[in-house]
Amino acid sequence: MKLTKRMLGTLLALALLISGAAFAETAENYPDIEYWFTNEGFLPAEVGGAYYNLTKETIGVGVYMPYVDWNGGQTYREQLALRVAANDTPDIFIYNNGIENSLILDGAALDLTDYLPEYMPHVWEAIPASVWETVKANDPTGQGRIWTIPDVTTFTRHGAYIRTDWLEAVGKSMPTTQEEFVDVLRAFKEKDPNGNGAADEIPAGGRMEARWMDYLFAQYGVAMYEGYPEWDIYDGEITYSAVTSNMKAALEFVSSLYKEGLLDPETLLNSAGDWSGKFDSNTVGVYYHIPWVAYQRLQGIYDYTAGAVKAQVANLPQISAEGYEGFITVKPTGNSGKMVSADVANDEMLMKAAFRVLDCQYNMEYRDLEYGVEGMHFEVVDGKKVKLPEDKASQELLILQTPGCQVENVEVITSRLEAVRTEENSWQIDESIALLNGNQADGKVIAADGMPSSVYEGYEDIQNRTLYVEYVSKIITGEYSIDKFDEFVERWYKNGGQAVTDRVREWYAGKK
Amino acid sequence: MKAKYRIRESAGDRTFSMIVLVFLVLFAVLMAVPMIAELAVSLSSKIASQTGSIGLLPEGFTFASWEFMLRNASLWSSFMISVSSTALVVVISLLINSMMAYPLSKKRFGPSRVLLLLVVFTMIFKAPTIPYFLTLRGYGLYNNFWAMVFPQVISAYNLLVMRSFFQTFPQEIEEAAEIDGCGKFRMFFQIVLPSSKAVIATVGLFYGVGAWNQYATPLMMIQDTALFPLQLKIHQLVNAASGDIAAAVKVSTANYTNETLGAAAVIFSMIPVLILYPFVQKYFAKGAMLGSVKG
Repeated sequence: MKLTKRMLGTLLALALLISGAAFAETAENYPDIEYWFTNEGFLPAEVGGAYYNLTKETIGVGVYMPYVDWNGGQTYREQLALRVAANDTPDIFIYNNGIENSLILDGAALDLTDYLPEYMPHVWEAIPASVWETVKANDPTGQGRIWTIPDVTTFTRHGAYIRTDWLEAVGKSMPTTQEEFVDVLRAFKEKDPNGNGAADEIPAGGRMEARWMDYLFAQYGVAMYEGYPEWDIYDGEITYSAVTSNMKAALEFVSSLYKEGLLDPETLLNSAGDWSGKFDSNTVGVYYHIPWVAYQRLQGIYDYTAGAVKAQVANLPQISAEGYEGFITVKPTGNSGKMVSADVANDEMLMKAAFRVLDCQYNMEYRDLEYGVEGMHFEVVDGKKVKLPEDKASQELLILQTPGCQVENVEVITSRLEAVRTEENSWQIDESIALLNGNQADGKVIAADGMPSSVYEGYEDIQNRTLYVEYVSKIITGEYSIDKFDEFVERWYKNGGQAVTDRVREWYAGKK
Repeated sequence: MKAKYRIRESAGDRTFSMIVLVFLVLFAVLMAVPMIAELAVSLSSKIASQTGSIGLLPEGFTFASWEFMLRNASLWSSFMISVSSTALVVVISLLINSMMAYPLSKKRFGPSRVLLLLVVFTMIFKAPTIPYFLTLRGYGLYNNFWAMVFPQVISAYNLLVMRSFFQTFPQEIEEAAEIDGCGKFRMFFQIVLPSSKAVIATVGLFYGVGAWNQYATPLMMIQDTALFPLQLKIHQLVNAASGDIAAAVKVSTANYTNETLGAAAVIFSMIPVLILYPFVQKYFAKGAMLGSVKG
C-alpha cells in the first residue's frame, strides 16, 4: 500500500516535470520583466498572478510590478531612487518630473538610439520624427542620443465646454465673440438657468493658483497649460507668456469678470474636488477641463439631481479678444515617458524581452491587452468586451494599459470611450465624443514643446511660479490694481526669470 | 471618625479654576471636532463627499466605506501584522532599553560616559535615506517582516528617559540587596524592574505608538503587499487619483470616494490606540514627568 502511494507520487512528479519542460520549450524563453508604472491603489501584478499570466500568454513575456505607491509621483520617485541606489533598477520604468536627466547622467538608463529601429519598430514609427528630434536635442549628455520614450499626445487635449441646456433656458445662442460670451455669463447669473429658484448659479470659474481656467487667458493668446504659463513666441522671441502684454490684458479681463461676480468667488480657493463638485451640483455654466472626460461630470449631475437632469454640453468656441489670436495650448511631447534600465544590457535575452514589451505596447495587434483579464477587468456581453467597474480591491494593475495607444490621438481616445459605453451612460459617451471632436481645430503646438524642465534648475521658484501666483491672485481679486503687473514683470526678471529666459532661448535655438 | 479638611478656595482661585476648566473644555472640543468630522465623512455618501456638503453630521448616511474597508481580508491580515510587529517592538525594546539604561545610570560603570556620548551622537546625526536603506537591505531586511521590528527597537530619546529614571532609584535598596547576597541580574529583574512600572509603561507606550504608526520605514523596505502593515495597507486602499489624473477613463459604481474611505481608515487605525490609552494613561501622566527633575 505504502509502496503504491510512493510510486504514484513519483509518477505524478515525473508527469509534472515532463509537461513543464514541454511547455517551456514551446513558449518563448523570454525572462520576466519588472515594469514600474503608475499604481494608484490597484493590486500589484505579481509573478504568477492573473495579469502576469495574461502578458505571458499574449506577448510571451511575463510582466510584473510590486506595489509601489504613486502618491502624485513623489513616493514613486523616492522608491525608484532607492532601487537604483541598490543596483537593482526595475527593467522598464516610467519617469516624470525631470528625474530622467539625473538617471541618464548617473548611468542608470540604457541608450536606446541604435535599438529602436531594429527591435522596437512600432515605437520608432508611432512617435513622430519631430518628437524624436526633440528627444535628441534634450539629451543631457549633449551627444544627441535617445534615452527616453516620451509619452506623446497628438491632439488637442484641453478645452472649455458650456451647458447648452442653460443657453436654451436663458434664450441665448452660442457665443462667438468676447462680448457675447460675457453677455451669456451675465444671463447665466441672473436668469436661473438651473431653474431651482435660487440664485446659486456660478457662470464660470477655476481652481486655486488661478488654474484650470486657461480658456479665459487663451482669448488673449496666452500660452498656458492647466494653469501653468508656457513659453511661446511673443514679439518674435520665445518668451514666458506670464510676462507678456497679452497676459496683462488677459488679467484685466479676468479681474473684471471676478469683480462682476461672473467667476466663482471661491475660484482661487477651489481644490480639484471642490470645483468638479460645484459642476456636479448643477450650478456651473462653463467648465474648462479635459472635455472627453465630461461623461463623468454629466453622471455627477445626473446622480446629484437623482436622474432629473441629463445635462447638455458643447464646446465653447475658441474666442479671440479684439486684436488677439486665441488658441488652446498643445504640447505633443510629454514630460513623462518610459526608460529602460542600463543593467538589462548585461543579459541579451532580458534586453530583448524588455524591447519586446515596449514594442508590443505600440503594436495595434495587441491593443486588446488594454481590456485586461477577463472576469477581473472586463466581461464579454453579446460578443463585445465591456470593462467592468473599477474595483481596486479586486483588480490587478494594468501595466500595459494602452497597447498601441501610447501615442494618444482622437481615434485612440474614442476607442477608450467606447470601451466604457453602457446602455445607461450612452448619452454621456456621445456627448464626450462630440466634445473631443469639436475643438481639435483650436489647438496650437507651442514653441516650448518638449522643453526639458532642467532649464529651471536652481530657479525652482520660477518653475513653481511662486511670484506669478501671488500677483495674479491679488490682481484677479482686485487687491492689486492691474498697474502692479509691471512690478511683477520687473521682479520676475530680477529673481531668476532673466537667467531662465536665456537658457530657454539657447535651448530653442538648438532645437530649431 | 475622620474629619474632612478642605483647603479654602478664595474667589480668585475659583475664577482661575473656572477659566482653566473652560479653556480645557474648549481645547477638548477643538481636538474632538476633526475626529467627529472625519467620522461624519466616513459615514457619508459619494455624492455628499464630491459636492463637499458634509459638516459634523453624515450626509446621505451609508456604511459603504466601512463595508469596503472591513470586508477586505487583506486589511485584517495587515492589522495582525501591525499588532504583532508592535507587540514585538514593545517587548524587545523594553528589554534592550532597560538593560542598557540601567548600567548607563551608574556612575561606577566606567564606559558609561563614552557609551552615552555615542547614544547622543545618534540623536544629532541621522543617516540619510539611501545609506540607511542600503544598510537595512544589506542585513536582509528588504521585504522582511523584521524590517518593521528591528529598526524600531531602540531610540536614544527613550533610552535617556529610562536612564534618568534609574538614576533616581534609591541606592540604599540596591546596597541592602547586595549585602543579602543578591547578584546583579537578580537585582535588576527582581528589584529594580518591578519598581519601575511607571517608566516601563510610559516608554512602552512611546514605542508602541511609534511602532503602530510607523510608515516611512515599511514604505521604504516592504514592497510585498502580503507584508504590509496597517498604515501602508490603508494608504493603498485609500490611494487613488487626484482630480487631474481622473482623466483616465474610469467607471465606478461604488458609493464611496477616496475621501470617505480615507476618513474610515483614519478612524479605524485610531481605534486600537484609543482603546489602549485609558489603561496606560495613569502611568503615562506620571511617567512623562520622569527624569525631568534629577534627584
